[in-house]
Amino acid sequence: MTVVADDALPREQGRRDALHHRDRVRRKIVEQLKQRIGEEDIVASGPEKKLRVPVKGTRQWRFIFDRGEGSGVGQGDAEPGDVLGPPSGADGDGEGLAGSEPGEETYEVWLDMRDVEELLFSELALPRLKAKQAADLAETDIVYNDIARTGPQVDKKATLRANLARNARRGHAHVGDVDRVDLRYLSYREQPKPRHRAVVFCVMDISASMGTDRKRMARLFFYWCVQFLRRRYDQTEIVFVGHTTEAWEMSEPEFFGRVESGGTRVSSAYELVGEIQRRRFPAQEWNAYVLHTSDGDNFTADNHRTLELIERLATSCSLIGYLEVDSSGAAQPYKLSGFFAAHARDLDGFVAATAANDRELWPALKQFFAKHEVEEAVAS
Amino acid sequence: MSSAPAYTVADLQELDDRCEAIAAQLGFEVPPIVYHLMRSTEIYDIAARGLPGRYSSSRFGAAYSQQHEQYRMGRSRIYELIVNTEPVRAYLLDGNSLVAQTLVIAHCAGHAWFFDNSCWFEPTDRAILPRVRSAAERIDGYMAEHGRDRVEDFIDACTAIAIHQPQAQMVRRAEPVDEVERPQRYDRLFPEEVAAERERLARERAERRARVPAEPEPDLLGFIEGHARGLEDWQRDVMTILHSEQAYFMPQLRTKIANEGLAVLCHQEICQRLFLPTDRYWEYEQLNASVVQPHLGQVNPYNLGITILREIMRIATEPDEEERERWAWAGSADPFEQVRTVCRTYDDEALLREFLTPAVCERARLFAFEHLHGDPRRVRVSSRECDAVRDVLIRQHATFGIPHIEIVDADYRGRGQLYLEHRAAGEEEPSLDPEYARGTLTQMAVLWGRPVIVHTVKDDEPVWYVGHPHGSSEETDEAP
Repeated sequence: MTVVADDALPREQGRRDALHHRDRVRRKIVEQLKQRIGEEDIVASGPEKKLRVPVKGTRQWRFIFDRGEGSGVGQGDAEPGDVLGPPSGADGDGEGLAGSEPGEETYEVWLDMRDVEELLFSELALPRLKAKQAADLAETDIVYNDIARTGPQVDKKATLRANLARNARRGHAHVGDVDRVDLRYLSYREQPKPRHRAVVFCVMDISASMGTDRKRMARLFFYWCVQFLRRRYDQTEIVFVGHTTEAWEMSEPEFFGRVESGGTRVSSAYELVGEIQRRRFPAQEWNAYVLHTSDGDNFTADNHRTLELIERLATSCSLIGYLEVDSSGAAQPYKLSGFFAAHARDLDGFVAATAANDRELWPALKQFFAKHEVEEAVAS
Repeated sequence: MSSAPAYTVADLQELDDRCEAIAAQLGFEVPPIVYHLMRSTEIYDIAARGLPGRYSSSRFGAAYSQQHEQYRMGRSRIYELIVNTEPVRAYLLDGNSLVAQTLVIAHCAGHAWFFDNSCWFEPTDRAILPRVRSAAERIDGYMAEHGRDRVEDFIDACTAIAIHQPQAQMVRRAEPVDEVERPQRYDRLFPEEVAAERERLARERAERRARVPAEPEPDLLGFIEGHARGLEDWQRDVMTILHSEQAYFMPQLRTKIANEGLAVLCHQEICQRLFLPTDRYWEYEQLNASVVQPHLGQVNPYNLGITILREIMRIATEPDEEERERWAWAGSADPFEQVRTVCRTYDDEALLREFLTPAVCERARLFAFEHLHGDPRRVRVSSRECDAVRDVLIRQHATFGIPHIEIVDADYRGRGQLYLEHRAAGEEEPSLDPEYARGTLTQMAVLWGRPVIVHTVKDDEPVWYVGHPHGSSEETDEAP
């Protein structure tokens, strides 16, 4: 028999695996939050309240006997007739009888709204955000943040790491026999110091045809838009516009609270947006985004005028997003969604979406604020 | 106990030599053991994986962080882990006190003897560690190539059924023997009957050959690996890895009570003979008590194991009349030798069947309980009668608590679906958990590429659960 003191494990990676696990759970949480984005309790919970998210799906499935059935054996001084286990109705954390519950993982994560938003918004970005006024503010930063296989300056640490990894792959993890293939170089990128000034126009149909439910969905949608912008792009200007047959610029509380009546003439809103942009947010200095929700019940005669205005706006805006909130969901021929589907399908910078219920708000939001690789660097 | 241990490796070596000598006096020839002193992070890494160096998985990560957290908070402590290899490897927590190491080393001697002598461990691959390590490296490669999530999901799906391996590893199933049409003496007298009989046999044989699997197949993962279409090479490799690593654990599941019982017996007997000074002996007794204390609401295999083995030793030396009649060796056997005889061939089921006497039941404070309907976490104690307790324990240990499920048709109704049969061990066996059955079947369907069905009985009515590859599942009371 031998006692070996200093024999390390060939692979010790418990901690690394634990991180992988946390990452997986985190993604499951995001998945489930997205399902619930429309639910009132998330929105209503406000920044103070905490949110309980039960996370399932990390369960290890297997065939087991019915958990609420059958018999077993235990040890102790219990007498026939005694009832053991946590009192009925006990919640979550109660120590169950060990062995009676399979390896089930249910997390009840208490998140405050900041975390919730952080999780959700990490998947969103303002698309096509361009640096403005780059000509007269030609600042660049040189950032050494990369490792490459060629370059002017050897990164010793990375080289040794590569050497170690290569030796380890061949069976014996040690540093030595540094070869040309191990060499790693510091690499830099010239990063422009951009100024991403942006203005977002939130345009909401507040006409009579927007019933209680549709209004609620539209407000929910804008609530998340505004939260997202404030959280991730704090330099962004937000302009609120409401419209019936005519359009007004509104304050934020007005926008979220006001109820109007009357018909719908969508073009009025786009006219106003175009005007505000020209007057206050010239395209050469500001990235502009337009988000518009409506039930799509526009005066048919107004549709072509609306499209004209959108086409004109699209030349100076990074994105025009149109969301039709409606219980039916699909693009309907007599509604704006149908009209856009027929006439504006290929219009660059224009995205139309529909949402039949709360659950479809998140996919719409994601459609508008699709995150692309390139933009990831600047968004954070 | 968390203070720096006041001993050297040489101390442990000496301790180990003394333990080995005492074990030999008692008749236990202990095979060579290599001890490794390890940090808690390493110990808990092995504990989470079951074997050192096993592949990376967030499932292991979850177990690791949970258990290591318990350790850091002082709520639990793994003193030792032992692996059945050649030589046996034991991993000792380097923060253990000298007394704890003493107990652990004596305890490991028992396990090592058991590994070496129990017939249930004969099929074990004693060179598993290098294989485990190279498998881990291959899986790393698959993760790099196909994405970590994809590989992990696949591993999870395989893990769901890996434990369903043929349980009687010692018994090789006989090839189905075709009835041979032997010429019989009076054949000529009944030509038509003989011709008809031969035709029937030929037809049955053809049917059996055409059926896949020819006989019900309890090896779920192995069968799918061999027969599923559309699996990629890396997926088959992962299946083979998980299958063979699970095979390592099967004998341990089968002999948990006997194995732990023997290890406790060894550490108790050896430590008694080490003549520890009073303060150390006191610490030893406390540790020993914490190892064998009963757990309310479940069975502590250390406790039940040592209680049964001590009972065998008592019967060997001081049997009553009834016991004398029942066991030929009662009253005339060397107690340690009798324990060894039992441990060489008995698995837990056999051990319980024969030696769970009323005295053992009483000493281990065993009771049978029944689940309260509608509240899976609460139970009602139903009996302290030995027979009732034994029935339940045997039923559990006959299948290690795993429902017995077999593949009976790999082309169900010509649709390529996999049809499974749940074979209840008796009327007392509870039905399958519906939620878990459906979840598992969905995972299986992903592996199989087509729907997988299991037939079972719930509340005396036949029921079928179906899992589909795209993730949905259902329950029906008519054959799908």
